[in-house]
Amino acid sequence: MQRPARIGATVRRVAAPRPLRIVMVGWEWPPNHTGGLGVHSFEIGRELTRLGHRIEFLTPFQGPFTPVPGVTFRFPGEARATSPPEFPPAYWTGGTPDSPFVDSIDGYNAWIGQLTDLGPVDVIHVHDWFGTVGAAALARRLGVPLVMTVHSTEYDRSLGHPWDHIVGREQVGIDAAVRVIAVSRHLRQQLIDRYHADPDKVRVIYNAVRPSQRLERIDPKKRVVLYVGRLAAMKGVDTFLRAAARLVPTFPDVLFVIAGEGPEYSRLLHLAASLDIGDHVMFLGHVTDEERELLLAGSSVFVLPSVVEPFGIAALEAMAAGVPTIVSKTSGVAEISSGAFQVDFWDAEEFASRIAELLEYPTLRAAMGEQGRWEALREGWPERARETVGVYLEAIASRGRAI
Amino acid sequence: MKIVLYLHMHQPWRLARFRYLDLGSGRSYFDVDRNLGIFRGIAERCYRPTLDRLLRALETHPDFRLSLSVTGTFVEQAKVAAPDVLDRIRALVRTGRVALLAETYYHSLAFLVPPPELAEEVALHRAMLRSEFGGEPKVLRMTELAYSDDLARFAEAERFHGMLAEGWERMLRGNPPTYRYCAVSAPTVMLLLRHYPLSDDVGFRFSSREWSEFPLTSEKYARWLASTPGELIGLFMDFETFGEHHSAATGILEFLSALPDAVAKEPGLGWATVDEAIVGPPRDTLSVPYTMSWADQNRDLGAWLGNDLQRSAFEAVKKVGVVVRQSRDPTILTDWRKLLTSDHFYYMYVSGHGADQGVHDYFSSYDSPYDAYANYMNALSDLRRRALERLGVPILK
Repeated sequence: MQRPARIGATVRRVAAPRPLRIVMVGWEWPPNHTGGLGVHSFEIGRELTRLGHRIEFLTPFQGPFTPVPGVTFRFPGEARATSPPEFPPAYWTGGTPDSPFVDSIDGYNAWIGQLTDLGPVDVIHVHDWFGTVGAAALARRLGVPLVMTVHSTEYDRSLGHPWDHIVGREQVGIDAAVRVIAVSRHLRQQLIDRYHADPDKVRVIYNAVRPSQRLERIDPKKRVVLYVGRLAAMKGVDTFLRAAARLVPTFPDVLFVIAGEGPEYSRLLHLAASLDIGDHVMFLGHVTDEERELLLAGSSVFVLPSVVEPFGIAALEAMAAGVPTIVSKTSGVAEISSGAFQVDFWDAEEFASRIAELLEYPTLRAAMGEQGRWEALREGWPERARETVGVYLEAIASRGRAI
Repeated sequence: MKIVLYLHMHQPWRLARFRYLDLGSGRSYFDVDRNLGIFRGIAERCYRPTLDRLLRALETHPDFRLSLSVTGTFVEQAKVAAPDVLDRIRALVRTGRVALLAETYYHSLAFLVPPPELAEEVALHRAMLRSEFGGEPKVLRMTELAYSDDLARFAEAERFHGMLAEGWERMLRGNPPTYRYCAVSAPTVMLLLRHYPLSDDVGFRFSSREWSEFPLTSEKYARWLASTPGELIGLFMDFETFGEHHSAATGILEFLSALPDAVAKEPGLGWATVDEAIVGPPRDTLSVPYTMSWADQNRDLGAWLGNDLQRSAFEAVKKVGVVVRQSRDPTILTDWRKLLTSDHFYYMYVSGHGADQGVHDYFSSYDSPYDAYANYMNALSDLRRRALERLGVPILK
């Protein structure tokens, strides 16, 4: 059922002949994280070290860091006692980055570029745009291959109004990397089209979720249709509200729950009011991982209506929890989930119909829940880590290095 | 040894996307344009070239014979999309060496719903054959080659002289599939069995490069046929095998054209229609107390009713059938019968692994079995609503 990956995009899972020494140029690391990048770094880092590899994780933040054996944390000013940078950075909550933020990014990159006490390094792996300039400089100076993972692009995050400064940093990384990892085929194509990345060097490695304990289904009187994610324009939450408005007359008992925070919050609140569905929609704000699992256990349907979604890990988490899921066709997660309904992001009528079908037909709900769980969990971070090693080995070999 | 070549012609009325929000809208369940478009494509690639080749073979080989089944939904679509395809079938029938088989008009699972649905659909189909092609069928084939002792009893009651069934080892119990048998439940009904290895050599394996016998030539195939012991070889397959399941580029059409010649060169090898093949004493009686089909590895109804989605949809359509009949509205009854077409249930098949999934995906008209189920249930819910309205029952909701 899975659509075959295009030739050139797939990665073989291989074991390295010896432990690799990896410098990972990252951003966040748990427990302090606002987005999926921190979780990704943590999960992939943990699995890589379980395979015997060693990681020096570079981050602009001072910690605390959830410890993982085999991972050492490095951050600017690590030797001195300075005040840690603001967390979360203003950029995440405030919309556009301002100059102090750019200054601190530049400081981070400058620090990376001049790192000297690293010891032998096999590969440098940078995530997204934050540290590309420093990582490229470091790779050049040490003469080691650079690998870059792109989780999303500035074009996507800004819905087509990118900040050139960030696009430029993405371009630096994509050009300097000998291998680029995209989290979906859709994103891979964008890197080829928009950033002129050489198709031969772009690989696809999907995200994964950790199997959580399957909670007993909560069976409240009110049925819940759930969205979890940031309230950003690219997430298409207004489609979710418009679909809800279509259903409220037929399903007055259903509650539409929106968990997450972001710049769109007040606009969405107004939209719900103007659609006259205020009584049927609940905005929960930020939820913890634990709260999210409880929410999923009590939900009948999960909806990810993103306009743009390079991957969409929230949908995979819902599927792993056995909640039947509806995703937009353009999301990366759609590429690996035939057990989810796939809808055009603009089609509120179709989202509404799909939600109604899942609410109305219990056999469908059960079958999609089972299939989704299987699809979300049949492969996990261990497989993704082995694929990442495959890319590292390709990168090292492409530099004519023996291992 | 006689070859009984039997080809099955069918196209379903596929559903349009019928959204939950379309309930009560009066929209049609069936996407007529899309169905006709598909039909025209297959007519071009398969029906026309294959029918032409078969006619030529009948003209040049006086010994050549074959049998056809043509569903009512196929004829309905052909009339609009490609009437010349029907003319070509008529030309075949006029040679007198092409037998037509009876079946359900809607290629449906009518044999699993309470009477009188099955008898009515078979009668509809008989009437259609009479008016479109002339003649009376003697042999019955059930949807997806379904067969059981009960169905043989039905065939006897309907005065058919023969039925088709899968030559499946499990029910043959050591008997070879290459003879005529009769049903233990209905001794006047002769059974002709599908030789599935030889049928699938053409139907499934012909274009497979991984197959050790690739490429299959008509000479090699005729030799296999000649060396098979017995009296009858049932080669039963979809008509779309020629030009559609295997595209023209695979050489399947040339294979078919050359087959009568190759068969003529093998001593002792000839052809028979199903009507001819049922004449003669049966080798033995056969008992099939369950329903057998020609599909998938298990030869059961698992392809249509094997999972929860399929069973749930089928139970629902059966239940709706009760109010549909009560409504006495012919339009509602016709729509219900189109929903009983087996293809809709096939689209809801889920396996995710195994050899059969590829076959199912190939035939599906949906992105996933979940799409198929949801869409079907929406149409069925709407139909139920219409039937209840007709009966004056207030709709809750």
